[in-house]
Amino acid sequence: MVKFIKRILYFALFLFFTYSVFIVIWGRYSPVKKNLNYRLGLEGHTFTRLKELKKVKNVDVLFLGSSHVFRGFDNRIFEKAGYSSFSIASNGQTPIQSFFYLEKYIDSLNPKVVVFEVCPFILSRDGVEGSLVVLSNDKIDLNYSKLALKQNHLKIYNTLLFSFYQDLLFNEKSKFNEKIKDKKDTYIEGGYVENELTFYKPVTIDKKEWKYDENIFNAVSEIAKLLKRKEIKLIFVQAPVTFDLYNSYLNNSAFDAKISEYGQYYNFNETHKWNDTLDFQDFHHLNRIGVEKFNKKVLNIINNE
Amino acid sequence: MLFNSIDFAIFLPIVFILYWFVANKKLKLQNLLIVVASYVFYGWWDWRFLSLILFSTIVDFLVGLRLGKEEDKSKRLALLWLSVLVNIGFLGFFKYYNFFIDNFSSAFSFFGYKINPNSLNIILPVGISFYTFQTMSYTIDVFRKKLNPTKDFIAFSAFVSFFPQLVAGPIERASNLLPQFYSKRKFEYEKAVDGLKQIIWGLFKKVVIADNAAQFVNVIFSNSDEYSGSTLFLGAFFFALQIYGDFSGYSDIAIGTSRLFGFNLKQNFAFPYFSRDIAEFWRRWHISLSTWFRDYLYIPLGGSKVGKWKKIRNVFIIFIVSGFWHGASWNFIVWGFLNALYFLPLMLLNKNRINKNVVAQGKYLPSFKEFSQIIITFNLTLIAWVFFRADDLKHAMSYLSEIFSKSIFTFPNFEGRSDSYLILAIIGFMFFIEWIGRNNLYAIEKIGIKWPKIVRWAWYSFLIFLIGILSQTEETPFIYFQF
Repeated sequence: MVKFIKRILYFALFLFFTYSVFIVIWGRYSPVKKNLNYRLGLEGHTFTRLKELKKVKNVDVLFLGSSHVFRGFDNRIFEKAGYSSFSIASNGQTPIQSFFYLEKYIDSLNPKVVVFEVCPFILSRDGVEGSLVVLSNDKIDLNYSKLALKQNHLKIYNTLLFSFYQDLLFNEKSKFNEKIKDKKDTYIEGGYVENELTFYKPVTIDKKEWKYDENIFNAVSEIAKLLKRKEIKLIFVQAPVTFDLYNSYLNNSAFDAKISEYGQYYNFNETHKWNDTLDFQDFHHLNRIGVEKFNKKVLNIINNE
Repeated sequence: MLFNSIDFAIFLPIVFILYWFVANKKLKLQNLLIVVASYVFYGWWDWRFLSLILFSTIVDFLVGLRLGKEEDKSKRLALLWLSVLVNIGFLGFFKYYNFFIDNFSSAFSFFGYKINPNSLNIILPVGISFYTFQTMSYTIDVFRKKLNPTKDFIAFSAFVSFFPQLVAGPIERASNLLPQFYSKRKFEYEKAVDGLKQIIWGLFKKVVIADNAAQFVNVIFSNSDEYSGSTLFLGAFFFALQIYGDFSGYSDIAIGTSRLFGFNLKQNFAFPYFSRDIAEFWRRWHISLSTWFRDYLYIPLGGSKVGKWKKIRNVFIIFIVSGFWHGASWNFIVWGFLNALYFLPLMLLNKNRINKNVVAQGKYLPSFKEFSQIIITFNLTLIAWVFFRADDLKHAMSYLSEIFSKSIFTFPNFEGRSDSYLILAIIGFMFFIEWIGRNNLYAIEKIGIKWPKIVRWAWYSFLIFLIGILSQTEETPFIYFQF
């Protein structure tokens, strides 16, 4: 029996080594990736934003959330109003990743207000995509293994491992340079991604229901508790999305009720009228015109706090 | 609890350690631990149905004890019927009630009478078809005086609820498994390692082959009216692999897990897709069920030692009942009927036992004749699988008629086709490994045993890597759970 347990342990070590070798070969040379989803320099400038995040200190306003944040909050507008700000946001970022970042950077960023963007569209997801994006675009440290363990998903483990070896063996992220202007997107200091002015062309969106996910809302709860402990003001906002998308959710009021349990909450789809074809670049992102309108309304809220 | 879940990955080592380090001094304690672990394993899905297992266990234990003392033939028969009625009663109610109610209602409306059927919203208890058959085999064997009744309730409970095979088999005979609960288990290194290897291969077949094939099967079968015959053929091919990977994978994990605890379960799949005829296929597919029906239904009916017409009747009965065992639907009955049709010519020509040995034994490749036989047999099973997977008979018929149309000669085209090349390559890899290992109890049993340790370990690591990189990431239940 002792021999068996010993062998199992030796094999586990051996497996870790060989699995690493296989995953590096697979990730670099296989045309099919399947459960390895490593995407460095992904649309949305996550790599550049995370690089900047490490240098930023003491901001007035911190924006948290998905692409609705980095495409929805123009830091220059807040700067003009006298607020320094930063957006911690990435594609598909759910509260799970937001909490992870908050824990890591809250002391250095030391914000006075956190604006936390929530919507049924993102909070219905399991958060795997959000983790894959950050694992691909940041230097891997021990904290990321905690994030992986929390989510316990094969794709996350594989991507974590591959991303770690990409750094260790090929120094890939140090060598990588993301273009500030990439296709139609331009990265603006503070985390905003400005898009060339385009307008939404209506599409058909199937009706669906927002589904409560315990893991996601545990993270929302953790965020609320952490900020309360640090005495930082927390404001939940639901950024505008097109009427088509918003009304495709049949239980928006249930979502609003749930979020309101955690603190002050503004749903900009209910409180303001937006023009689908004028204010949006696609079905869930504002264009420059929409961003300006939206940010002014958020500024009013912050000013009144 | 699913074998392919994190819950099981935590559960198994805990039970293993308790079993060998805490309960190892006393046999009774080890058996009790198995019972508790099995009830936790089953209750993880729905604890309410534990009462069915417990009730079935108590009835058969008491019936067994009475049968051991009773010599009066009619009383013995009554006791046997009591056990059969309880077990079949559970099965009948939970699995077949709605089927019969719906069909009676349809039959009455056909003759112009309208009745309001009282269909119930019944949840099918996982694995009920497996454990009821297992426990019935005990009572029947005791009734036939082939087995002495047990007086050890804990051992008997462990036999009925043994978690590795509780929900999807193999359906173990009391004569094989029950005595193993009486004797002290000694940890054997080789056996445990063998068990782990079999678990790895089973997981590979389940999460890599079956779950990936299922993605294409679902797309193709759900939209079958949009696709050409060649695409539908590919869909049926993927389903054949899905059901094989799923069920034989489950059996491998079950047998491997049992070996970790010092038990030997019987082989349930013996490389059925390398069969040269349907008779051989049925000797190699779901062996524990086929032999159950053979011993407790076919032989009591007279088997093949009766006149020609009775022989034919017996073949149809056994295949149709087997089909009905799989599910309460006409699809499964037709599936069974079709297999009976395939089998019948072989039996009538007395050729149903000509291919008893392993194909191309001692050779690298089969002969052209053997290869052709394998391909024909595989395609016959593939046609039958369409009934198994289709939504209803109408769907199966339209699916097959498209396969047998001119469009079979087009190039398959369906959503996600480009992704299917990878899974086709992996299926090729699986067939290659299974071909190499076809003489053994499971494909990778002997592969690499003579290689240097580092190469052998690298081979196992490679299989684990394939599981990690290619498996479907959502936990998918095993198909046979529904039976």
